[in-house]
Amino acid sequence: MSEKPEIPNIFDPFGMMKQMRDTGMENWAKSMTDFVNSDTFTAAQAETLNAWLATSTPFRKLLEDTLSKSMQALHLPSTDDLARLADRLTNIEMRLDDMDAKLDQCLKPQHQEHSE
Amino acid sequence: MTETINSNSETSTSPFEDVCHQWHQATKNLDQFNQLLTRDAKIAQTPKQLVWALNKAKLYRYVPRVAKDKQHRVPLLLVFAIMNRPHVLDLRPGHSFVEYMVNHGYDVFLLDWGIPGLEDRDLKYDDYTLEYLPRVIRKLKAITNCQEFSMLGWCLGALISTMYASLRPEDGLKNLILLTAPLDFADKEAGGFTKWVNHPAFDPDRIVEAFGNVPGEVIDTGAKMLKPVENYVSNYINLWENIEDTSRVEAWHAMNTWVRDIIPMAGAGYRQLITEFYKENRLMEGTLELRGERVDLSRLQASLFNVIAEGDHITPPCQSERIMDLVGSQDKEVFRVRGGHIGIMAGRGAEKSTWPHIDAWLGARSE
Repeated sequence: MSEKPEIPNIFDPFGMMKQMRDTGMENWAKSMTDFVNSDTFTAAQAETLNAWLATSTPFRKLLEDTLSKSMQALHLPSTDDLARLADRLTNIEMRLDDMDAKLDQCLKPQHQEHSE
Repeated sequence: MTETINSNSETSTSPFEDVCHQWHQATKNLDQFNQLLTRDAKIAQTPKQLVWALNKAKLYRYVPRVAKDKQHRVPLLLVFAIMNRPHVLDLRPGHSFVEYMVNHGYDVFLLDWGIPGLEDRDLKYDDYTLEYLPRVIRKLKAITNCQEFSMLGWCLGALISTMYASLRPEDGLKNLILLTAPLDFADKEAGGFTKWVNHPAFDPDRIVEAFGNVPGEVIDTGAKMLKPVENYVSNYINLWENIEDTSRVEAWHAMNTWVRDIIPMAGAGYRQLITEFYKENRLMEGTLELRGERVDLSRLQASLFNVIAEGDHITPPCQSERIMDLVGSQDKEVFRVRGGHIGIMAGRGAEKSTWPHIDAWLGARSE
């Protein structure tokens, strides 16, 4: 009688989800994990992905072509041009790295002499 | 009569006051909840120096905290996966594997593969294993003046480390630690990923053709969909329930910051991963070739410590077990830990359940 009746927290936005979890979250999690590992889900996922790629790829290609042509018309480098340039820079970086290592190797005996 | 009324008002609150208190607390908690979801925590704070860089890859050396004479002789190189940032190895001060190893006297190096750009869409495992990693190791040896080193690879970093150790056994690799290594894809029903990518309708070429590099969002969604309720629902309910517990909130925030930091995967590498590893299981079959060199696991001679997470749904234990029978190492050990793919190294129990075992095994072999 002396205990105060518990007042539900009406400002708890996760209250319902919490209640749901307390009652059956583990089962829900397990059944969802089983579902995503099922043949049905696997097939549906692959097909959905293919359908999305099939419909979106032509639009993406069109956009890329248009952008590339616009850049060309403005005498500006396209994304592919920049990618090629970056690729060449990486190759130069690799050569520099190799040269740096060789230089280290050549200087090593001198450093050792100095330290002795 | 008046006295009684006053006394009551001091010990209990009216329903209206309760509602006001709840409203105040709820708005405060919601504000914090929102901040935790939208702002980044400070992670990867252990002091380090950049010692080498090539393209997007960077090699860091952590500032030692132990006197030189008390340090282990053999340096340790950490190699993380290529589809996430390596900051999970150094999550937050007081709870960082890197910090732990530095404090235990290791000369720790971390390889950050970086974020691939469009120009990196043709990068394959051949490049990671035979172009980048040997250069990293060359630099590490030059800096430390030590011809031997230990390597710890995690997830796809473990795959790269294993291939390197098999292809270059004479390169000074003394100790190899594999964490949740996805190496053996013989069981096509093991785990969601394996099942998904082995479906005949799943075509990695189409994905790569469409995107160039596979967007981080695609990889992240795939990983989270393996346990959808835990990742999309329980994770946030747990945060809400513990929002007034500072230490839990800090841990959650740091982990969430790392999880949200998603990066794309180089297109050619993704295609190779799905086709040559997941579908054809070439590494275990002995038919994998990188740059024309066959990867023969029996050539791997380094001491091997294979850490397997028993509750791993991303790399199920069966994908990491069979390597023990195929390597040429005389000194090899499997260590099984309760926990998941990330939890065994970054979870709350890692400091007691995983890190000391790695330290004990490696420490005995680092002199």
